[in-house]
Amino acid sequence: MAFPSTTVQMKKRILALILAISVVGSSIIIGRLFQLQVVQAEDLQKRAARQQMRVTSLSAQRGTIYDRNGEILATSGTVWTVYLSPVDIDSEEERQLIAEGLSEILDVSEEFVLEKSQRNTYYEIIKKKIERPLADEVTEFITENDISCVGLEEDYKRYYPYGTLASTVLGFTGSENQGAYGIEAYYDSVLSGTNGQIVSAKNAWGTDMPFKYEKMYEAQNGNDLVLTIDVNIQRFVDKHLEQAVIEHEVQNKACAIVMDVQTGEILAMSTKPDFDPNSPNTIYDEAVQAQLDAITDEDAYQEALLEAQYEQWRNKAISDPYEPGSVFKIITTSAVLEEKVVGLDNMFTCTGSYESGGVVYHCWKLAGHGTQTFAQTLQNSCNPAFISYGQALGQEKFREYFQAFGLMQTTGIDLPGEAESIYHSDEDFGITELSSSSFGQTFKVTALQLITAVSAAINGGELMQPYVVKQVVDENQNVVSETTPVVKRQVISEETSQTVALLCEGVVSEGSGRNAALPGFRIGGKTGTSEKLGQNDSDWKILSFLGFAPADDPQIAVLVMLDEPKLDDPYGSTIAAPVVKNMMADILPYLGMEPELDVDENTSVEVPYLTDVMLEEAQSQLNDLGLKARIVGEGTSVLKQVPQYGYEIPYGGTVILYTDETELAESVSVPDVLGKTGKQANTAILNAGLNIKIEGDFADNVQTQVTGQSPQPGEQVQPGTVVTVTVEQVSAAPEEESS
Amino acid sequence: MAQQQTKEKKKRPTGRGNLDVTFLVLVLLLLTFGLIMLFSASYAYAYYNDNDSFYYIKRQLVFAIAGIVAMIVASHFDYRFWQKLALPVMGVAVVLLIIVLFLPKIAGVHRWIAIGNIITFQPSEIAKFAIVVMFAKMVTGYGEKMKTFRYGIVPFLIVLGIIAGLMMMEPHLSGTVLIATIGVVMMFVGGVDLKWFALGVGVLAAGIVVVVMIPGVIQYAQARLEYWLDPFSDPQGLGFQTIQSLLAIGSGGVMGLGLGNSRQKYLYVPEPQNDFVFSIVCEELGLVGAAIIVILFALLVWRGYVIAIRAQDKFGTMLAVGLTTQVGLQALLNIAVVTNTIPNTGISLPFFSYGGTALMMLLAQMGVILSVSRRAALEKQ
Repeated sequence: MAFPSTTVQMKKRILALILAISVVGSSIIIGRLFQLQVVQAEDLQKRAARQQMRVTSLSAQRGTIYDRNGEILATSGTVWTVYLSPVDIDSEEERQLIAEGLSEILDVSEEFVLEKSQRNTYYEIIKKKIERPLADEVTEFITENDISCVGLEEDYKRYYPYGTLASTVLGFTGSENQGAYGIEAYYDSVLSGTNGQIVSAKNAWGTDMPFKYEKMYEAQNGNDLVLTIDVNIQRFVDKHLEQAVIEHEVQNKACAIVMDVQTGEILAMSTKPDFDPNSPNTIYDEAVQAQLDAITDEDAYQEALLEAQYEQWRNKAISDPYEPGSVFKIITTSAVLEEKVVGLDNMFTCTGSYESGGVVYHCWKLAGHGTQTFAQTLQNSCNPAFISYGQALGQEKFREYFQAFGLMQTTGIDLPGEAESIYHSDEDFGITELSSSSFGQTFKVTALQLITAVSAAINGGELMQPYVVKQVVDENQNVVSETTPVVKRQVISEETSQTVALLCEGVVSEGSGRNAALPGFRIGGKTGTSEKLGQNDSDWKILSFLGFAPADDPQIAVLVMLDEPKLDDPYGSTIAAPVVKNMMADILPYLGMEPELDVDENTSVEVPYLTDVMLEEAQSQLNDLGLKARIVGEGTSVLKQVPQYGYEIPYGGTVILYTDETELAESVSVPDVLGKTGKQANTAILNAGLNIKIEGDFADNVQTQVTGQSPQPGEQVQPGTVVTVTVEQVSAAPEEESS
Repeated sequence: MAQQQTKEKKKRPTGRGNLDVTFLVLVLLLLTFGLIMLFSASYAYAYYNDNDSFYYIKRQLVFAIAGIVAMIVASHFDYRFWQKLALPVMGVAVVLLIIVLFLPKIAGVHRWIAIGNIITFQPSEIAKFAIVVMFAKMVTGYGEKMKTFRYGIVPFLIVLGIIAGLMMMEPHLSGTVLIATIGVVMMFVGGVDLKWFALGVGVLAAGIVVVVMIPGVIQYAQARLEYWLDPFSDPQGLGFQTIQSLLAIGSGGVMGLGLGNSRQKYLYVPEPQNDFVFSIVCEELGLVGAAIIVILFALLVWRGYVIAIRAQDKFGTMLAVGLTTQVGLQALLNIAVVTNTIPNTGISLPFFSYGGTALMMLLAQMGVILSVSRRAALEKQ
């Protein structure tokens, strides 16, 4: 075999190969690596991290909402999300088993689970927010059948233990626990906290890496809120408002606000009918639901449903401006007295109509009120008088006060959805507009604006900033922030304010607000009957009443507004005032204000003869006399009454009416009131379910002491029995009360 | 025989001259790197799929040791005998290529022959070696006649045609292209007139045009081209492997995540111990480590060709050229694929990719090159 030598040409060509592969080839490769590992590195690393990292969210617990007494209004409970990892399903049998099992436990369709199970993913939600019993069932199902592709994740759900109570104020949360309405929405960032994360590495199968690579960012739980709302007051308000809505067939909802006039705290705010925030999407008005059910078109249905939902969530007290009507006369009164353009000694003669700027205004009392004092014009709610006061004030001053009382801008309360007021612009504010505005027509304010303005008129003249959140508290009960009352401005002087409050008391004690009178309490107030702006032909009206107590030192104000109640001759005085009275009757004693019964002859009432009288008639008689009725039994007429006919009991006392043979099983032990003050004795005896008759000789407003009582302490008597106490005047200066 | 000096180092004198230490060191360096990286890359895949993290490295190590033995043996074996063995080797290769077509498919193709449960090998690996030996013998035999069409082109194309035809039946496109390229390179070095290469390019172009005329080919080619240019357009389908490879390379940055710290090997890069092992190298060792390995390959190729230039005779030159070209081309094409510089084909990375028999054969072939270097040294004396 020959072994010829390598030729020069070969060597040259090999050198070309070295150049091609070792130099050019490797240079290209290194260049490409540089491009990938330096130029595009960041982008590629991000993409890699996206697929390699598993981010597990740790839900932050949403803060609790408390009322001012620490009652829980909204809280978050643990619930579970059931998920399926379709790629981990081992067999068709397992798929079938899971579909059947989950559909049965979770009340979802089998097809739904099967459809999800076909997807090529690691995470498909089967059902959200299931509660413990169901979650336990799922866990059991998983363990029993040794299923690894179904799991449970913790989540939170919002609970509202009081149901509908203050629902339009509280609002509710959405499916992702985000605040969707009301306080929940306004304070969402405070309540929601910050979700945490666990970032861990995962392999392409979605399971964890065999080594530990994990970073945890703890969830920061949300802060709690303490509201100014008082559950009990809210309950009283809800109860009476709801009753009024039903009784008077209110067409367009009603609202009520209870405000601490000194601080601007909202103690209760109610809209009726409302909704249960535990299930906010359900339509609670059956008539509305029936209307919805009648819609066949799917899109139209959804649109109508959404509209109905917004309507039912609406907080009427802050979102619906309306014409305040005569309640606004308190503001006009405040302005004219502060400006001293009309004095308390002014006399006004109402002829039934009044001409101003070429327009003739009729008084609601067509025959006219005749000649009245200033106080009487307010008591009579005499429109002509107030038109004349408006004229005396003039456009400029009127607008100045309108603005100063906060009626030109929103109150800025810490709630979402507050509406702007609607009023005449400066240029349009002529003599005619001034006239109608003077008695509260032709402009609109919200119930909240009105009660805030009136509060300023009676609390010493300070316009307060209304608010619903008192404190923000962290999870360790440390106070994060506290709302302090904010005085926006001094609108009128303290003296004027005092006068206004007392004038309003006259309205209740002697004028058109009589129906709001509550024996033993000094209540001030003003009725309102408003035409609906732009609907003057309509018979529909808004009836309202604003009451406050005590008139000599106002603490709380209550505004009730009924939008379109069904009645032949509706006036705020006959419909809205009693609602406020009923609320006050519950609220004032709850707030520790005791009825100060004037112990003079005039306040005692003779119990009428009611035996054999029909029950309704008997109740109405007692009501007219200012007495309360307590009915025992199921009958329709009165068989027996306690106290008997002829007894004299104080105004506000209770008469027990037995309507059938059922005797009142209970008997009452007569309390020992000897040595107590007259006031204390009064309270103790009334609280025991008995009536009191006070005998004795003494001057007004002095400290008295009980020196004798009959029946004797400890005696067992029927409820309603009259206890006669003898009082004497204590000569010394008022002592400190002792128990 | 007298003692003699090599440029690199003083070696013990042998009758057959000293082997090229530079080349040997480069081979051993690449082998070491390759084994370490194979272990790192296969660790997670083996852990999840075989419940044994050491599954691949254990087997690869056994073959590496066997391969080193084979390399030593081959380096002592006078390469000139291969000239006599060329026809028998060629015969064996052809027979095996035929046999494999009748064996059951593995992974969907007739590419492997299994002996028992442990050893599987590709007849195409033998065929590559057979072509190198055969072409070396032919170039040596034809001498000056290589310039003619009759000797320089026809017999070579016939041999190549037989082998390529059989391999296409497996089918094994990338292997066929590789063998053909090695063959063409050997013809080039062997002295074929350059005009034939110009003509070859023309024929190739015409061939491509004809192929493209076949219905459906354009669409197929277009799809492949599209995901090559933008693999992220089809992240779950054709682009998946490429994307995962690019993500691994990019994740490495300049300095890498550190040996063993690849995250992409956790089932993202499909079969990271095979063709795409280099992406894990890039992720763990960064641009610096990857470039060092590329340079090691470049040096190996350079040294292989230097040995070819210095070879004692034409046959030795051709043998060294063929075997060096094989390693160089495979490394170049593999890394080009892994970095998505060229479209995806199935070529493994020498010294790194898993495959016991292939590694053993590779090392044996390195032994053949070393054997060539011994006689070159002797010649220089």
